[in-house]
Amino acid sequence: MTPEGSLLAADGLHKAYGATPALDGADFSVHPGEVVAVLGPSGSGKSTLLHVLAGIVRPDSGTVRYGDRELTGMNDTERSALRRTDFGFVFQFGQLVPELTCVENVALPLRLNGVRRKEAERQARDWLERLEVEDIRGQRPGEVSGGQGQRVAVARALATRPRVLFADEPTGALDSLNGERVMTLLTDAARDTSAAVVLVTHEARVAAYSDREIVVRDGKVKDMLAGLQ
Amino acid sequence: MSPLRSLADRRTSRTDPGTAPQHPAPARPRSRPRAWADDLVMGMRFAAGGGREGWIRTALTAIAVALGVAVLLIGASVPTLMDAWHGREKARENLGQRHEPPRGDTTVLYASSDTVFHGQAIRGRLVRPDGAHPPVPPGMSQLPGPGRMLVSPALKKLLDSPDGALLRERLDYRVTGIIGDAGLSGPAELTYVAGSATLHEPSGYRIDHFGKAWDPPPMRPPAVLLVIMTCVALLTPVMVFIGTSVRVGNEQRERRLAALRLVGSDVATTRRIASGESLFGSLLGLAAGALLFLGLRQLAALITLWDINVFPADISPGPLPATLIAVLVPAASVLVTLFAQRGVTVEPLGVVRNRPAVRRRLWWRVLLPVLGAALLLPLAREQQWTDSPFNTVRLAVGSMLLLFGVTALLPWLVDTVVSRLHGGPVPWQLAVRRLQLSSGSATRAVTGITVAVAGAIAIHMLFTGMQAGYTEAYAQSSKERPDLAYWGHTDSWRQTEQALAALRATPGVKSARGALTANIGQVPVPGHPADDTGYMTIAVGNCAELRKLAALPSCGSGDVFLTDQRDKDVIRPGATIDLNPRLIEDDPPEPHPWQIPHNTRPTHLLSPGVGPNHYSFDLLATPSALDIGRLNSSDMELTVDYDRNLPDAIEHIRNTTAHIAPALYESSTVDNPHDQQLSSVRNGLFAGAVVTLLLIGAGLIITTVEQLHERRRMLSSLHAFGTRRASLGWSILWQTAVPVTLGLALALGCGLTLGALLLSIIDNGVTVDWPVVAGMAGIGAGVILFVTALSLPPLWRMMRPDGLRTE
Repeated sequence: MTPEGSLLAADGLHKAYGATPALDGADFSVHPGEVVAVLGPSGSGKSTLLHVLAGIVRPDSGTVRYGDRELTGMNDTERSALRRTDFGFVFQFGQLVPELTCVENVALPLRLNGVRRKEAERQARDWLERLEVEDIRGQRPGEVSGGQGQRVAVARALATRPRVLFADEPTGALDSLNGERVMTLLTDAARDTSAAVVLVTHEARVAAYSDREIVVRDGKVKDMLAGLQ
Repeated sequence: MSPLRSLADRRTSRTDPGTAPQHPAPARPRSRPRAWADDLVMGMRFAAGGGREGWIRTALTAIAVALGVAVLLIGASVPTLMDAWHGREKARENLGQRHEPPRGDTTVLYASSDTVFHGQAIRGRLVRPDGAHPPVPPGMSQLPGPGRMLVSPALKKLLDSPDGALLRERLDYRVTGIIGDAGLSGPAELTYVAGSATLHEPSGYRIDHFGKAWDPPPMRPPAVLLVIMTCVALLTPVMVFIGTSVRVGNEQRERRLAALRLVGSDVATTRRIASGESLFGSLLGLAAGALLFLGLRQLAALITLWDINVFPADISPGPLPATLIAVLVPAASVLVTLFAQRGVTVEPLGVVRNRPAVRRRLWWRVLLPVLGAALLLPLAREQQWTDSPFNTVRLAVGSMLLLFGVTALLPWLVDTVVSRLHGGPVPWQLAVRRLQLSSGSATRAVTGITVAVAGAIAIHMLFTGMQAGYTEAYAQSSKERPDLAYWGHTDSWRQTEQALAALRATPGVKSARGALTANIGQVPVPGHPADDTGYMTIAVGNCAELRKLAALPSCGSGDVFLTDQRDKDVIRPGATIDLNPRLIEDDPPEPHPWQIPHNTRPTHLLSPGVGPNHYSFDLLATPSALDIGRLNSSDMELTVDYDRNLPDAIEHIRNTTAHIAPALYESSTVDNPHDQQLSSVRNGLFAGAVVTLLLIGAGLIITTVEQLHERRRMLSSLHAFGTRRASLGWSILWQTAVPVTLGLALALGCGLTLGALLLSIIDNGVTVDWPVVAGMAGIGAGVILFVTALSLPPLWRMMRPDGLRTE
């Protein structure tokens, strides 16, 4: 059953890799502009939940609804198109294309959506400025620091003005100072654009930037707010 | 436990329960050779137990090395192959000797009866033993009796086939045996030795043994060039492929080497261990290459290249080249690995690539092809090719420098062009930026294409030019001499008349003419050396035949005519001439004086001069004017015009002439032997180039898949935010297409330049073999598509979400 007003909701998700269950009847929902932190120990199924919610992985059973659309009923092309237009992603490693400059990396999803190069790069520069890394726009990912690279990744995720931003351990490879700065910029920008954020982390310090926390354990989701109530 | 620790270390590190742990005894420092040996062996163990990627790398290295070893072994077999081929030819032949032994129990009359059937040369020999113990050529236990023949297996097959029906009419001897391998130049040779009851001197030579003192002619420059350039064009891609294959699974290997560093291995040790890994593949490749070589040489019987067809056993490298190959190929693989690791430092926590950005300098890259051209240009400007060791070396070195210059130019060209490319759609941008960041791997793989294509185009041009030259020459000859000409010994006009009658009755013959011809000379003066340079010629025939040679006002039996070509001081009415002049450096024969009749009349030849269809007879005589039996070495000369539209007309004529006299020589421009020779070489080259390009394609696939593997996390993330598969597919296409297209363009330029220079050197007109150029370009395009198509499945796999998992 979909919680009222939710933008993205999952119900009874099951997913197994071989004989190993990753999700075992997980439910989830996020509202527009809400930041939800997904917490849990290693191997609990956090990343799988994020991948299923984003339409990257199909669940074995259960449903994912985005607005009034059923993700699990879409084919790969439709889900890819949805990810291009409505979703944004930030990962812990390897998310930037090493051969492209920072501005080209940020412009990439826009160009994939059909925006012309000049316009895409203009918008990309705005995002880089907003995330305080405008000065490295002409450099390649290999030439910038981890914190700068992650801000570029956030800029890229936000460049298409996604309605849902998926962030999988976005600060996992950063020191605490850089991590906090990235989280501040990410959540501020998301709230400015009313984007929902699904934030996978195992750090309570990072989870503190969220409006709500859920815990995944053994493939099941527990809403901390509900638990408190 | 660290694999670096010795068994002794492990023993000493064991602690008994209840006792305090002891520090292991310090290991003794290893000697340098020992360290090398230990580390190489350890690397080999890693290769054997390195899991799937390790085995893929080992298998690819082994395949590349096997191909290289097979090519090298075949190349190293060329001298022994030629020795074996020439050796058999020398052992079985003894034609054309000047000093014939006296007739005896151990002599045999021996003559050539070579013929041609449907464009295929057939070597024929006639024998007529003088006694009971004649010499026997190799491959036979005894000479065939009259009317019988021994044949090669290939000729037997042809004679037994429906295609050989016409040939059976020509060689109507009874087949009584097969000539053994020792008597054949190769398994595909068409040859026979037939016994003749009618062979006589001078049609046959008298010999008392087989085997002639004969030094084979040295290889001609085109052949030398062909061998050198083929080896280079084949080996360069193979070396490139080895270089590519040792890089497979680099990421996993580097992780392993980093782990070794963590447990105390130094940088030099890790490099030696990595070399040991490729040494393992190389040794496997060496064994596989030897097997491949043994398998490939079995195909030798099916291949005739430049009229050379040999037995599989002939293709066998000498011990020294074989040893060198066995030692140098594995050593080269170790060197390639060490070279590939330059600028890469394996640290305990990972790999540091500290290779400084390579600035590709143009000057030395241009220097190589310029030097090559500078060596070749003077040769091209020379009026005629002079066959000297210096020129051959200049030719080989110049060609090699031009070819290798291309490989040096390619990285600069790719970098320069790619750095100027901007904009374009996303796939194009991804590909171009990838190449801008690092074009090394792709360029390295494409280098092989460049050398192979440039070499193939140049050699093709060379042979196309030569073939065109021969075709033109034969076409010209056919215009000048459209008829077939036969000649052979006869001592009677009647036999010549019968031959003409038989030819005129042969299907397809439009006309035939002929005469009996012989040399005549001045009667030697006792005490003065015979003037053997002052030959004159006489043609004997009936009036009808003589009228085809000269304008005769009237002609009757016994008439003699003086032609306008004669030496007027010697040939004049009433003069005495010698019908038996000395023809060879032998004891002067007894003179046969003959007085030219006083009533001899002058005439002029219809077609005087020297050359095809031209005659320079001094005297024309009717048969009854002189005793033909007194002429020295008289020949019948027959000329036949035939219907070229009638299939097999020429084969019918050859059948007729074989029955007139098997030892008649044919002179014609019907069959151009060079056409088939050069076509077979060109087809072989094209096939070789295709195989080479496919090999390069395989190398490119390895490079591309390896890159994809290293970037799988990034690919997964691109997929996560909705990048279409097609976009990444196109980017791979462009990433392959840009260097391959540049490489092909460079190869075309270099190949055409080198081909033009080579053609100028052998004084041939420059002809570009455009179909081959188009074919090469097409295959290059095919390689691009082939690489892209085969890279797509791994690309789709790398794009799976698994790559996003960090736990």
